[in-house]
Amino acid sequence: MSDKAHSSADDSSLVRAAQNGDMVAFEELVARHRDKIYARAYSMMRNEEEAIDLSQEAWVKAWQRLKQFQGESSFATWMTRITINLCLDQLRRHKRQRADSIEAMDEESGGVERHMPVVIINPTEGLERGELRQRIDQALSQLSYAHRTVIVLHEFEEMEYKEIAKTMGCSIGTVMSRLFYARRKMAALLSDLKKPE
Amino acid sequence: MKEELQLKLQAYLDGELPDGEARDVADLIARDTGAAALVTELKNTRGALKAFESEIKLPESREFFWSKIEREIGRVDKPQTVDSSPAWLSAFLRRFLAPAGAVAALVIAVLLITQQTPGLVVASESETAFPGADTFTYRDYAAGMTLVWLSYPAENGFADFAPDDTLN
Repeated sequence: MSDKAHSSADDSSLVRAAQNGDMVAFEELVARHRDKIYARAYSMMRNEEEAIDLSQEAWVKAWQRLKQFQGESSFATWMTRITINLCLDQLRRHKRQRADSIEAMDEESGGVERHMPVVIINPTEGLERGELRQRIDQALSQLSYAHRTVIVLHEFEEMEYKEIAKTMGCSIGTVMSRLFYARRKMAALLSDLKKPE
Repeated sequence: MKEELQLKLQAYLDGELPDGEARDVADLIARDTGAAALVTELKNTRGALKAFESEIKLPESREFFWSKIEREIGRVDKPQTVDSSPAWLSAFLRRFLAPAGAVAALVIAVLLITQQTPGLVVASESETAFPGADTFTYRDYAAGMTLVWLSYPAENGFADFAPDDTLN
């Protein structure tokens, strides 16, 4: 396959070529999906350097496991799942390194969000794109990793409750409460950020 | 509002409720302003997040990022070189044969000197010490016997020395 053919080929043709050892085809796949993969890693880790390393690791893993990809989902979805699993492993390692149980803290803190007053006005309405991004970025950074992960998997990855529970190794009930508290906290944080200083 | 109802409202918003239950919740939202407000808040947060992620870009050029991946693939794909000799054998060679080889060289050197110098008056016995290598040689010419005393483990690290171009 020539360079021109690579750039005009669809993902499945490139995957087939890469499965036969065509590195140029694989490079084209990296170029096409690198931003999405990095964005997923960054959303979960909230650390640029770590997100770059993990997305790089995800691509290397993908190359090694490429023969296992049978096309049941899109290549981008398959890649994203590899990235999410790597990020979850990394977050679990972080958690083990800390003395306190974040899981326990997350569940305890849920009660506060449940009783918060509802934010009636849309706190992001009328904001410039850049400003909105900055505020959401800030608010996401203030969530615990468990709450942020459930937000990422549901809102960005569009996973159903059942799938999130499987990915995170918890019950559907836990997913529902984590998602609820995460959303409520996000609303409160965004509303606080909108208040004039 | 009870937690169970709050989670049900969220599940309704996310399309996770079965049809019958979803209709009941829709009716509740229509008549309960508190429930309607909560659903609106959850919807607003979801909407804000949706717009957010597409903005994140990898802060490295295509070429640079790929070069790192390519290098790593080259490293992990490299076939592992199989060492035909077991580890214990390599350790044995390094530990014992190197000093033994040095001792053998010394013995040969002593023999050559004594045999190639006809005029040399040799005593019936001789002793040679090599302080640098902690080695002592005793030769009894009458008995045709040579003893080599090797201080081991070598205090000067001689036995542990394994030059790169020899047994590695």
